[in-house]
Amino acid sequence: MAALMLVVQLLMIAQRMLLTNIRLFAIQSLLLAGIAAVVAYYHNASHVYVVAVLTIIGKVIFLPWLLNRLVHRIQIHQEIEPLLNAPTSMLICGGLTLVGYVVARPFTSLERLGNNTLAIALTLLLTGFFLMINRRKALTQVLALLTVENGVMLAAVALTTYGLPLVVELGIFFDVLVAVMVLGILVYRIRENFASMDTSKLNQLKG
Amino acid sequence: MNRDPIFLLLQTLLLLLLAPLLSGVIKNWKAKLQNRRGPRPWQVYFDIAKFLRKDMVISEHASWVFSFAPYVVFLTALLTGLMVPMVNTPAPLSLFGGVLAVVGLLALGRFFLALAGLDPASAFGGMGSSREMTISAIAEPAMMLAIFTVAITAGSTDLSQIAQSTQSATWKLLNPAHVLAFVALFIVLLAETGRIPVDNPATHLELTMIHEAMLLEYSGRYLAFMEWGASIKQLVLMTLLLNVFFPVGLAGPGAGAAALGLSLLAYLVKLFALSAAVVVVETTNAKLRLFRVPDLLSAAFVLATLALLSTFLFH
Repeated sequence: MAALMLVVQLLMIAQRMLLTNIRLFAIQSLLLAGIAAVVAYYHNASHVYVVAVLTIIGKVIFLPWLLNRLVHRIQIHQEIEPLLNAPTSMLICGGLTLVGYVVARPFTSLERLGNNTLAIALTLLLTGFFLMINRRKALTQVLALLTVENGVMLAAVALTTYGLPLVVELGIFFDVLVAVMVLGILVYRIRENFASMDTSKLNQLKG
Repeated sequence: MNRDPIFLLLQTLLLLLLAPLLSGVIKNWKAKLQNRRGPRPWQVYFDIAKFLRKDMVISEHASWVFSFAPYVVFLTALLTGLMVPMVNTPAPLSLFGGVLAVVGLLALGRFFLALAGLDPASAFGGMGSSREMTISAIAEPAMMLAIFTVAITAGSTDLSQIAQSTQSATWKLLNPAHVLAFVALFIVLLAETGRIPVDNPATHLELTMIHEAMLLEYSGRYLAFMEWGASIKQLVLMTLLLNVFFPVGLAGPGAGAAALGLSLLAYLVKLFALSAAVVVVETTNAKLRLFRVPDLLSAAFVLATLALLSTFLFH
């Protein structure tokens, strides 16, 4: 399942339509929730169930809905404009995946869930950062941030602790939720003021 | 290893008869999913029978390549089909190189198909050939890498042995390398069989067609062989995907008639499930612009490369 998350992430890099990207993010989150539920079941860690349920409510239903509404409000359905073209970014992400795998290798004994969950979590983190750098529009950068967060959650769930303490997890979760809502409003404002979501244009502002 | 002549005959028959049905079923289901009535599933048989009876019109500029190509396309597809285990594990044929021979034979068929497109010197044929070659130049390495991933895990390039070893270790279905390779091979399958994100099998629209463009000059018996060969190739690729990654229910060497029947049933169920997946992909996606196709295929290539590398990193 973790490998499927990686596949979804790579598809997100290759995909250019904004709405499809949001849907892919929802699928990835659903997979994360599935992994969390499996971990909870096998290790009788009841608080991980909470994580799974929260992930489904927040990241599979609420955030995609919010982002969809935002997309409709700012009337941008078309393509994401990446700085690098798709094959190049795919290759770079392939390289990043390798970095993730190599870095995670010494820690394989710590994992209980297959032998590469940590590698994939690291990869999600790295490729998430890459997505954030590579995309110009503010909204897609928000999506990239969310995939980074998925990577962090996966690492937390898959490592020995069976997830962080519940309080920390709730904290992270609501942090992200609020961050996305604030960023959504921010994106809307940027769009209102500059008639564009292209964040690279913000560099040209003079006081 | 029972490489009986009986099995050879049976598998040949199965390939010949099942391939048009598969194409027909995919067409029918696609139409149903799009709220159309669609042709009956067995319509493809009638089409082929009709083409076989009709006279041929051959361009006066065509050379011998034009009349040679349909047979090559048809026979290479059939021959590859005999090297892939369909219902029982020792496939009826095993040439040296196993998987490499499969990929090589498919490439030979494609080479002649492209030549046949160029031969009568019609503008569309040449366009189709050049597009086909562009796409296969990226799709083929991805396919090779994806199959090598499985071959390395199995320790053999012989498809029968690959299927057997995947079968004996079912937990490997969750192996990340296999997941990546499966997705890569699925994208390659869509590209190689001319399915929608890459090519539209249902249209003769001048600007978008790839496979149909190469067949444009064909008629009568040659067209029948070309179409039949294409549907056999589709069946072979789907079988390869199924029996290499999910050899569930595949009968082993020396299985009795009952076991073979059960295995055939399992195979058909898997086959139609995969066709349903293809139908859903075709219906929910729009055809990509030609210059976007390399993006999709490079995604498949990167996935396959990662699959191969991750088998090395964790062994």
